[in-house]
Amino acid sequence: MSEPINIRALRPGTRVALADGAIAEIVSNPADGVWLFARYLEAPRDPALIGQEDMIFAQDVIEIRS
Amino acid sequence: MTTARTTGYRPGLVDLASGQISREIFVNEEIYAEEQERVFARSWLFVGHESQIPNPGDFFVSCMGEESVLLCRDRAGAVHVFLNSCRHRGMKVCRYDEGNTTVFTCPYHGWSYGTDGRLVGVPYFREAYHSTLDRAQWGLVEVAQLCVHKGSVWATWDREAPPFLDYLGDFTRYLDQTLDSWDGGDGGTEILGGIQKWLVPSNWKFPAENFSGDSYHNISHRSVDLVGVGPSGSGRRDMPELQLARKLHIAIPDRGHQTTAYLLPRELSVPPGYQSSSVVADYFRHCEDVRRQRRGDWGRLITLVGEVFPSMAFLARQPRTIAVWHPRGPHQTEVWRWFLVDKAAPQEVKNFLRDYYIRYSGPGGMTEQDDMENWNYAHAASRGTIARRYPYSYEQGLGHEVANYEWEGFRLPGSVIDLTKANSSEHNLRNLYRRWAEFMEADSWNDLATWRRPSRAAAE
Repeated sequence: MSEPINIRALRPGTRVALADGAIAEIVSNPADGVWLFARYLEAPRDPALIGQEDMIFAQDVIEIRS
Repeated sequence: MTTARTTGYRPGLVDLASGQISREIFVNEEIYAEEQERVFARSWLFVGHESQIPNPGDFFVSCMGEESVLLCRDRAGAVHVFLNSCRHRGMKVCRYDEGNTTVFTCPYHGWSYGTDGRLVGVPYFREAYHSTLDRAQWGLVEVAQLCVHKGSVWATWDREAPPFLDYLGDFTRYLDQTLDSWDGGDGGTEILGGIQKWLVPSNWKFPAENFSGDSYHNISHRSVDLVGVGPSGSGRRDMPELQLARKLHIAIPDRGHQTTAYLLPRELSVPPGYQSSSVVADYFRHCEDVRRQRRGDWGRLITLVGEVFPSMAFLARQPRTIAVWHPRGPHQTEVWRWFLVDKAAPQEVKNFLRDYYIRYSGPGGMTEQDDMENWNYAHAASRGTIARRYPYSYEQGLGHEVANYEWEGFRLPGSVIDLTKANSSEHNLRNLYRRWAEFMEADSWNDLATWRRPSRAAAE
């Protein structure tokens, strides 16, 4: 099991991998430890999401990419 | 508790004809539970001040009765008041006192709300809810009506309540003395610093009646006068007015609001009261002159303490403050006190007033400490089985009130008792409890808004 990620510390511009295989770039972080505002860069299970902004749930973030 | 059900509030527990009020209304737990529904869920309640949330995303956590509420300004600049409780399992969505945010996120399961109250984030919305949860139906609970009046923010849970200014009626101009700048400019006040909050072991109606105009308890502040806590460094803060003006109890019977006021002679300006600081003295002298020019006869009136039914109190004369008596069970009240200054006042004036306010009011202020001691022990000594059998007396000035009170050509709206010679009356206190009893008995605003009835409307 990987180390838990401190969601509150992630800065805008950071790319994260999500549990469903998508990659998203953080647009803003409300720093509540629960949500991130991010834009989808890759979305293999739903390509229509690419380019869209969405709220990303903390527990869906599995890895920091950059 | 069967007393209320068998005898009613009028003339049972609140007997205004004889000027007697049962101690039960202060200490009885069933009456307390009933007044949450009948009084606090139906009245307009003070929530905060616009100057506390100047920017989009700003919020201030306030209370309406027992309920925690969020006063916030959304991204588009609109002011909202929401119940501070997640729609999923009720957790507070905000546990800070104030701040700025893009979203209110419930820490329990993660439901998240925009500053406009919309539910914007639901964990596992696609996976667990299969994208079928109707998020539009699950936003934060918003108050039924909201009004921003001269910077002060008011709200009610009751859709049937009259609009706020109608709720105030003729009391509006009395309240405005606290909300306008001291030179009579429209609005123009701001909150100074943070909010003072403290608990008092007494029923919320003790402070409510005190600020309605308990003119009889000044003896308990004798030490304050001896110390000279006033802005001039000696004596009572209002001694000059006391010697020149008519001192009045003013009540609005069909609304339940009341205040104490000084009405100054037409030819005399307000005596100086800030001699220990020339900058402050000059500022207030200038304001008083402008105020007379702008307001005419209304500029002669200086309101002291007052109460907007049920639980908002103000003190227009320095220290200028707003207090709310939040009920915390029948035997405890959480007091919140806001301090106001003229937004345009020089910083030196604001600094001077801050120091004065703190030593006069609030939990560390000399006057409020006296009050807390009185309410604390009066409540405790009224809870016992024997003590409850004996009503309180509210007989001062009974039957001596007048309508259309006039002095030096200025007629004041409301029901008035002139205290100048009487020294004291309990007229305003009776007005508070009259309205309280009406709320406890009335089933709807059709019964409470008596001024809406055709015969009354025609008369007005």
